[in-house]
Amino acid sequence: MTVERLVVADRTAFLRRPDYRTVRVLALLGLAVLWEAVTRTGWVSALFLPSPSGVLAEGLDMVRSGQLFVHLWTSLARLAWGFGIGAAAGISVGVAVGFFSLADAVVQPIIAATFPIPKIALLPLLILWLGIGEASKVAVVALGVFFPMAINTYAGVRQADPLLIRAAVSFGAGPWSVILKVILLSALPMVFAGLKLGAGIALLLLVAAEQIAADAGIGFLILQSGNLMETTKLMVGIVVLSLLGVLSHWALGGLERAVIRWRHT
Amino acid sequence: MRLTRIPCLPLLTLALAAGLLTTPLAHAQPKPVKVGVLKLTSSAPIFVGVEKGFFKEAGVEPELIYFQAAAPIATALAAGQLEVGATGLTAALYNIVLGGEKLWIVADKGREWPGYPLVAIVVQKELWDGGLRSIKDLKGRRIGVTQLGSTFHYHIGNVLEKDGLHLSDVKIVPLQAMPATMEALKGKQVDAILVPQPFPGAAEAQGFGKIMAWAGDLYPWQIAAIFYSDKLATDRARAVAFMKGYVKASRYYFDAALVQKDGRTVPGANYEEVVEITARYTGARPENIKLGFPFQDRNGRLLVPDIERQMSWWVANGFMKKALPLKSIVDTSFVEEAVKALDR
Repeated sequence: MTVERLVVADRTAFLRRPDYRTVRVLALLGLAVLWEAVTRTGWVSALFLPSPSGVLAEGLDMVRSGQLFVHLWTSLARLAWGFGIGAAAGISVGVAVGFFSLADAVVQPIIAATFPIPKIALLPLLILWLGIGEASKVAVVALGVFFPMAINTYAGVRQADPLLIRAAVSFGAGPWSVILKVILLSALPMVFAGLKLGAGIALLLLVAAEQIAADAGIGFLILQSGNLMETTKLMVGIVVLSLLGVLSHWALGGLERAVIRWRHT
Repeated sequence: MRLTRIPCLPLLTLALAAGLLTTPLAHAQPKPVKVGVLKLTSSAPIFVGVEKGFFKEAGVEPELIYFQAAAPIATALAAGQLEVGATGLTAALYNIVLGGEKLWIVADKGREWPGYPLVAIVVQKELWDGGLRSIKDLKGRRIGVTQLGSTFHYHIGNVLEKDGLHLSDVKIVPLQAMPATMEALKGKQVDAILVPQPFPGAAEAQGFGKIMAWAGDLYPWQIAAIFYSDKLATDRARAVAFMKGYVKASRYYFDAALVQKDGRTVPGANYEEVVEITARYTGARPENIKLGFPFQDRNGRLLVPDIERQMSWWVANGFMKKALPLKSIVDTSFVEEAVKALDR
């Protein structure tokens, strides 16, 4: 028996997107090398654009003196509190609004009215209410995280597949079982999308909040270095922020894969 | 002259170029110099020099460019957008030179001096009434300043040290702008602030603040200076010409507004004129201007050893990596040459 093999050209080949892993690394390295070259040749003064090697050396110096960790821990503590409070409140409100039409009627218009306010505009008000200290900084981060969390969770809850709900019911699931095992679980991808959005917003607001009346934190480090024209230190702060952003995205992605095991994307 | 927006600049340039080609006297035109200043009373000598034509007489024509804070003037100077800066001596300025850019501190532009009210330490009225009366009482308190590395930061640090305290004995709160420091004191977010005239008077008038002391009475120092960009410093003729105009204006200003007898200011013959010019250029009311003019040397001579002291203080407190050799940042030859030429 011979199997006749028919060679068929994949006519969607032009849509294929191979993953150039090495290119990704090279692009980043290339940027660093170009940057270093520009500063080495002296086209741009080191004061206005510090070289990557200078930034790295300064960063190591600040790690050795422990100065960087003071700022980092202060910022991380504020982030943790703000993000935790904002996310918890956002998820609770989102679930409640998604389930109960009364909560929906009460909360939806309020969210619609308050969501468009740039949260940073509220900072002066928060400082008046809560003082210059930690509370106002945590509050502005929490507010920033709350909205994407509430809106995404709500959407996730509303979007639960009716087919899945009917299937669960026909298998004899009670109301609580349906809520916990079908609706909430199917809202999880949206919740994680909200968390990722919130993490970015949290970082943005934290830096802004730390530029007013703070005495530690990455935002403070950036502002102070700018005021003192210590541009290399300023760059260290920016690089740390970039790393924080990448790390939080990566960590949330990992958590998402661990929690939503049934999803293969 | 004053900075004015001209909508048809290209046309004007053309006309000027045509004029230059046809007028043989063109070389006698005063040369333009870009000067960065703040709209504060302490810029009075510059305003007087422009208004009275002292600069033009010496052969330069200052183009005034107004800034909101001292540090950006230093940055603009390093970036080559300005040729002369007239403002406070901040850590940022020293760090710019430390970062490899060149600029020169060339003349006096204002000192904190006993008997000449400039910057005040203002405390919350309630705390004052509750017995917070001396620098020692500031221990553990929150003190609002504009920026870290600012002249205010330097000043409070040195005032504290004079009374046996240290910067770390208080909590310095940077609030970025002077109006914000006033608001913070009013809102009781800080216990004391350092602000220049006319803010201290306003805080007392509104009842939320009390002037504890004038900082210059506690610690005199060279708070502000005239800086030259490296480009101007190498263009010797223009640099000296600007300085001649400045020293002449400085003398005019000194004789009109700074002469004191038995601790009281004796207004000179041109006092009202200097007040009027300063009020016009700063946009402040004349009665506010009259509250006090900052002290400066009659000939615009710097307190050179103080520059060295400032740098070592910034280094000791971690706002500068290391001190600069004086000769890489101070050049007093312009002022000396100008004084000699004027006295001839």
